[in-house]
Amino acid sequence: MNLILKKDQLNHQLNAWRQDYEVHAPQSLENYTHFLPLQDEFELALDKAHNTRIPPKALFLPTSEALLKFTRVGGYEQVPTETAPRLIFGIRPCDAHAMTMLDTVFEQERYTDPHWQARHDATLLVGLGCHEPCQTGFCTTVGSGPFNHAGLDAILTDLGEIFLVETLTEKGERLFSQLETATEEQSTQASELQQAAAASMPIAFEKEGLKEKLDQNFDSPYWEEVSRSCLGCGVCTFLCPTCFCFDIVDEAQRGERVRNWDTCMFRTYSLEASGHNPRPSRVERTRQRLSHKYTYWVDQINQIGCTGCGRCVRYCPVGLDIRAMLRKAQQLPSEVAHV
Amino acid sequence: MSNEAHSPYLPIPMHVLHAYYESNDRSLKTLELSFDDPQDAREFFAAYNPGQFCLLSVIGKGESALGIASAAWEGDFVRFTVQKMGSVTTALHELKPGDPIGIRGPLGNGFPLEDWKGKNLVIIGGGCAFSTLYALTKHLHHPSNRGDYGKMTVIYGTRTSGLCMYKQDIAAWHQRDDMEVHQAIDVPEQDWLHHVGYVPDVVREVQPSPVNSVAVVCGPPIMTKFTLPALVELGFTPETIFTSLEKRMKCGVGKCGRCNLGPKYICKDGPVFSLAELNNLPADL
Repeated sequence: MNLILKKDQLNHQLNAWRQDYEVHAPQSLENYTHFLPLQDEFELALDKAHNTRIPPKALFLPTSEALLKFTRVGGYEQVPTETAPRLIFGIRPCDAHAMTMLDTVFEQERYTDPHWQARHDATLLVGLGCHEPCQTGFCTTVGSGPFNHAGLDAILTDLGEIFLVETLTEKGERLFSQLETATEEQSTQASELQQAAAASMPIAFEKEGLKEKLDQNFDSPYWEEVSRSCLGCGVCTFLCPTCFCFDIVDEAQRGERVRNWDTCMFRTYSLEASGHNPRPSRVERTRQRLSHKYTYWVDQINQIGCTGCGRCVRYCPVGLDIRAMLRKAQQLPSEVAHV
Repeated sequence: MSNEAHSPYLPIPMHVLHAYYESNDRSLKTLELSFDDPQDAREFFAAYNPGQFCLLSVIGKGESALGIASAAWEGDFVRFTVQKMGSVTTALHELKPGDPIGIRGPLGNGFPLEDWKGKNLVIIGGGCAFSTLYALTKHLHHPSNRGDYGKMTVIYGTRTSGLCMYKQDIAAWHQRDDMEVHQAIDVPEQDWLHHVGYVPDVVREVQPSPVNSVAVVCGPPIMTKFTLPALVELGFTPETIFTSLEKRMKCGVGKCGRCNLGPKYICKDGPVFSLAELNNLPADL
C-alpha cells in the first residue's frame, strides 16, 4: 500500500519509533555520513552523499566483534547474541540488496551464524530510493536499481514536501500503519520519478558473457594490466556492501576471541604457515576480488555479487574503476586460455 | 543447552589424554584428545567421516586446522598430529596430558566411502599429510568395514625414516595379508628395507592397477602435483583420483572467505575433491 510521510513530520515519526526501536539513520560525522543511532538531538543527512561511506553491513557484521569470552585458564563461553529491536532508516536499495546476498552466506542450513541471524531478525530496513542516482553507482547495470525492493521492509520516494512510502512486508506495514494513504496522483508521480531515475543511469558495461570471459582468462596478462596501479589498501573490499571476509584472532589481554573484517587484497589473507601463498601478488588478489563478485557469486547464487553501489570507484585512492576494468574484460578473447 | 543458538564458532571442550612425539626431530607431535562431556563424544562420532578435519583451539593463542588421524572405533578420543610451524602449533606442542583444549568439528566432507564400496583402494600419502589417510586405513581395517572394499594398497613416503609417522602400526601393516604396504624415503639410509625415491616415482614402480580402483592422494603440494599425472599415466581416470586440499582457514564453515577455490570453499565443500572436480576449478592453490 502506498502512504504519505510528510517531511515536517519525519523527526516526530523517528522519535516515536525510538520508543520501540534503536533507530539508525545517516548522520554527518567529520567529512562523511554514517549510520548512527539517533539520540535526543539529531540531524539527518539524507540528501548529502547518496551513500554512507561505511555500508550498513557493519550493523550486522561489525568491523570487530567478540565471538568468545575467556572465563578462566583454558575456559571460554559464547558471547550472547541478543539484539534489541532495531530500525535502519534511509538505507539505500543497493545496500539493502547486498544484505540479501550476505544472508546466503551467514544463514545456511548447516552452519548459521547466530550473531548475524540475531541482528537480522531484530532489524527492520526502511529504504530511501535514489531519485538522483549517484555518479559512481551502476546499480541498473548489475541487476539492482535506484528503487530496488530487495531486502527492504518499506521504501521511500522523495516527492519534495513528502515521502511516498511503499510498504513491502508485514513488518513494514505495521510500522507505517498510522499514515494516511497516498493519492493516485502521488503514486503515479512517484512511479514516474522512479522510472526516470533508473532510465537516467547509463549502462556501465555489458553484463552478458562477462562471467565466461573472466573464467576463460584466468591466466591472462589482463590481470597484471588492471592491477598495476593498485596499492593493495583494501578499501574497495572494506567498503563493499557484499564483501564479508573476516579474520579470527585471540586477544589474550582482553580475554576474547574476536573476528575482524579482513580483505583478500592483503598478502597475509591467504599466506600459509609453510610460507606458500596461493595469491602472492596484487595480480592474483585483484583477480580474486573481481572473480568472486562476477563469477563465483554467480556460480553460487546465480546473481552477480555486486549491487553497483559505486563505493569501490569513489574511494579508491588511485582511481581504479571496476566499471572500466570490466569493460576491458569484455575485450578479452573468448577461447580457453590454456587447454 | 541454553536457549542461545548453537554457534559454529564455539569449540567443544576437551582435554589432552596423550601427547607424544611422532618424529625423531620433534617437529611432529601427536595429541589424543578426550571429550569433557560424553554427549559431545556421541554427537562427534555420529557425524565423523574419515578425511574430515577440526579446528584446534588453544585459548588465548588461536586456532589451527588439522586433519583427524583416528578412526571412530579406536575409542572415545580424537587423534591429531601437529607439525610445529607457528604460534598456535607451538602452543599445541606444549600441551601436557590433562590440559584443556577446544575443538570445532568434525568439519568438511571427508572421503566418499559409500561411493568407494566394492572398489580397490590405492592410498598414497606423503609427510604429515598422511594423517587422514592413516585414519582412513584404520577405519577400513575394522572387520565390519574391511569386507566392503577390495584390495588395499598403501604407499607412504617421507623425507627420512625418522619423519615416518605411526611407525609401530605401519610396521604391523607389513604383516597383514589383507593389504600391501610400500614405504619410501627420499634419500638412502642404512638398514632401510623399503623404497628409496620420491612418491610419484614409487607409484610408477608399484604400478597399482586402475581396474575397479580409486586412488586417494594426500601430501605436500609438490608431491600431489607430480603424483596425479603418474596416476593418469597408469590409466586412472580423473573421476577415480581423489585428493585432500588445504588452504589457510579461519572459520571452517564457509563464512570467513579465505579458503575458496573458485566458487567452492575447501572447508565446507572439501577438503576432499576428485581430480575431475578440480579440473573444473581455477588453479588458485
